[in-house]
Amino acid sequence: MFKDLTKILAIDVEKCTGCRNCELACSIHHTGTFNPRRARIQVIKEERKDLVVPIVCLQCESPLCEKACPNGAIQRNEFGTLYVNNEVCIGCQNCVAACIYGGIEIDPYTRKAIKCDLCGGDPACIKACDYGAITFVESSPKGRLQRAKGVEVLSQIFEASFAEAEE
Amino acid sequence: MTFPYKGYAGQYLDIDLSKGKVLKRKMEEEWARLYLGGTGVAAKILWDRTGPKTNPFSPQNIVVVGTGPLTGVMFSPSGRFMFASKSPLTGVWAESHAGGFFGPEMKYAGVDFIIFNGRSPKPVYLFLRDGKAELLDASALWGRETAETTDMIREQHKNPEIETAVIGPAGENQVLYSCIIVDYYRAAGRTGIGAVLGSKNVKGIAASGSLGLEAYDMEKYLAANEGEMEKLNDPLWKESLSSLRRYGTTDLVAIINEIGRLPTKNHWTGFYEDADDIGPEAIATKFRIAQEACHGCAIGCKYIYKIMDGPFVGGPAGGPEYETLMAFGSNCMNNDLASIIHLGTKCDLLGLDTISCGKSISFAMDLWEQGILTEKDTGGLDLSWGNVDSMVQLVEMIAKREGLGRLLSKGVRKAAEKIGGDAWKYAVHVKGLEASGQDPRAHQSVGLTYATNVRGADHLRSLSSLEELGYPEIVTQRFGEEKTEAILDIMSPRHKGELVWDMEDLYAIVDSAVICKYGTMWPPVFYFDTFSNVITPLTGMKEWSDPKYVRRTAERISHLRRAFNHRLGITRKEETLPKRLLQDPMPTGPSKGGLPDLAEMLDEYYDFRGCDRETGYPRKEKLLELGLDYVAKDLEQRKMLR
Repeated sequence: MFKDLTKILAIDVEKCTGCRNCELACSIHHTGTFNPRRARIQVIKEERKDLVVPIVCLQCESPLCEKACPNGAIQRNEFGTLYVNNEVCIGCQNCVAACIYGGIEIDPYTRKAIKCDLCGGDPACIKACDYGAITFVESSPKGRLQRAKGVEVLSQIFEASFAEAEE
Repeated sequence: MTFPYKGYAGQYLDIDLSKGKVLKRKMEEEWARLYLGGTGVAAKILWDRTGPKTNPFSPQNIVVVGTGPLTGVMFSPSGRFMFASKSPLTGVWAESHAGGFFGPEMKYAGVDFIIFNGRSPKPVYLFLRDGKAELLDASALWGRETAETTDMIREQHKNPEIETAVIGPAGENQVLYSCIIVDYYRAAGRTGIGAVLGSKNVKGIAASGSLGLEAYDMEKYLAANEGEMEKLNDPLWKESLSSLRRYGTTDLVAIINEIGRLPTKNHWTGFYEDADDIGPEAIATKFRIAQEACHGCAIGCKYIYKIMDGPFVGGPAGGPEYETLMAFGSNCMNNDLASIIHLGTKCDLLGLDTISCGKSISFAMDLWEQGILTEKDTGGLDLSWGNVDSMVQLVEMIAKREGLGRLLSKGVRKAAEKIGGDAWKYAVHVKGLEASGQDPRAHQSVGLTYATNVRGADHLRSLSSLEELGYPEIVTQRFGEEKTEAILDIMSPRHKGELVWDMEDLYAIVDSAVICKYGTMWPPVFYFDTFSNVITPLTGMKEWSDPKYVRRTAERISHLRRAFNHRLGITRKEETLPKRLLQDPMPTGPSKGGLPDLAEMLDEYYDFRGCDRETGYPRKEKLLELGLDYVAKDLEQRKMLR
């Protein structure tokens, strides 16, 4: 029996300083090494626009990655979180193409898909963030609203840069 | 066989630019054990490969790029790396560190150290990617500003994750204080290593890596690391950290002006009446839009600015640090904050050290006031204090080495020699390096720090904040009850020789680890025990768990760098201060009347360092005790051993 997913990660983009400590913590937890490129959370940066965006799996209610996987490698674990079963994944990257958010990627070392599994309920990235930019919230309408609010500033930045481009 | 110590990438690059050859070598075990990394290892390499006759711009000079075991392994604040060479500005030891993301990326790409030898026949840049290292054509990048260079490299490789360390037009033109810009707006600023890279036709380095790093005992290392972070997060330092997070180094403008130590009017005084105009609150309310942090850093002192209107519209980009606010602000009597921000960014783009550049301009303004420089010399530029238009033009002229910029591109010591007469009295430098943003007339130990710093007049090799901000418990812990009162007295020279000796050794390890000065200099949390706690579980080098071993290594590094300078002619005579800071009492402000008692402090410092008071040369038994037999042998032949 699977439990329902009860908690999700919410990121407050305005609090993020882009230090990448979440990536380090994630890579230590999952690979036992310091290797930000193998992290399940990735900080995307565009220095010239002051854009710093940590990207991590949203734990969607109807996950496109799961549907895109030809092998059924994306499965639910005992905590109700979708994870990638490494034994089954063939590294075809269909899931990467399917996720519109960029929440799943290929491990440069194993060449197989990796995504956030919430560390089984105690996410390493939250402890590693000294700026309080990552929180663990209830998977309820209220929690999802908090998650949406945390990235609101991005739409303003994008709007401004679109306006600039049009000019 | 692979390199036995973890935390390191395990490999260094020995590059012959003249032949276009990149040699990959296994890291030397001895480097790690005896010199740790960063400045320690760089000192060993520079000692071995250069000599008294090496011309800084000749193919025989080398540039060392160094990381340390702590670079990129989650110890906060450890996103740093360094450059070392023989300086074209000072002719002696050159070293400069930078934060950002390049240092860790270089290690993730598989490299601990890079040694650039020779001179490339055409412009190149070094590209590192997961164990691969190649010299690529940089002719399309040559002449470009630093930000554009980084954009182009990322575009060329279709990889926005590439981190860079590049020079700008100033470095290509061999302006003697050219810097290296890291990740757009962080700088390995001082001593002109950017010009050495320029002379070698090296535009920069680009790195992207996914190789990762290991710990010897991850569980123990993370526990030790957490212990150190707990010290940093002690409520005692809450205010310090929140100030750093809110203002970064800009807060120092207010703090330092309050004690009368803010260089103003070419170091004439230490108090600036308009300091509020260029201070932390003005920046925070008018221009600051975001906070940033270097790799894995919990402090996050960097900030991003944007100027929305007026003549200096610009950003988003990294905002000026304290030193830049001082160099282009108070020290030029310029209270136009937007202009300072603009000048800082301009220096980043052109690849100029903001401190030496600002100080060269304030030196020229001083000479203008004295009537030593006139319109005939400046090509019509009016160099009155605070003339922003002239400052903006001069920065461009310096980078291109045009007109008066040609003279000022050599730094204040050489410019004063060229001008002759009384000009030297206004050249504020030690060993040829323009003074940074402190003043020994308001803080005795700064005088000793400036005089003995192996790279010249600046704070980063041994500045003590203990008496500046007053931390009695820490002073007592480190130096004992009976010395506490004298050490805490900022204007007493007593025990300052011991204090600076201790700081210099502590920073020698900090700069070899390689970590930031924040957390060590201020707040003064990390000490020698920090390194004995974390280095062993990280690397597996057992001897490092002994605090005495850490101290001995620190002393070894300090002595090796000093010996490097002795060989180039540095003695007690050169370990001094410019006239203005040594002989002219502070004329105004809270520290009015102050002067440093340098001779007394130097005597004590030499005693603690194990050097001869008269010459500053090391004692033979000291070098032998530290295992520097090869240095003792060399100096003995030169009659530089006591």
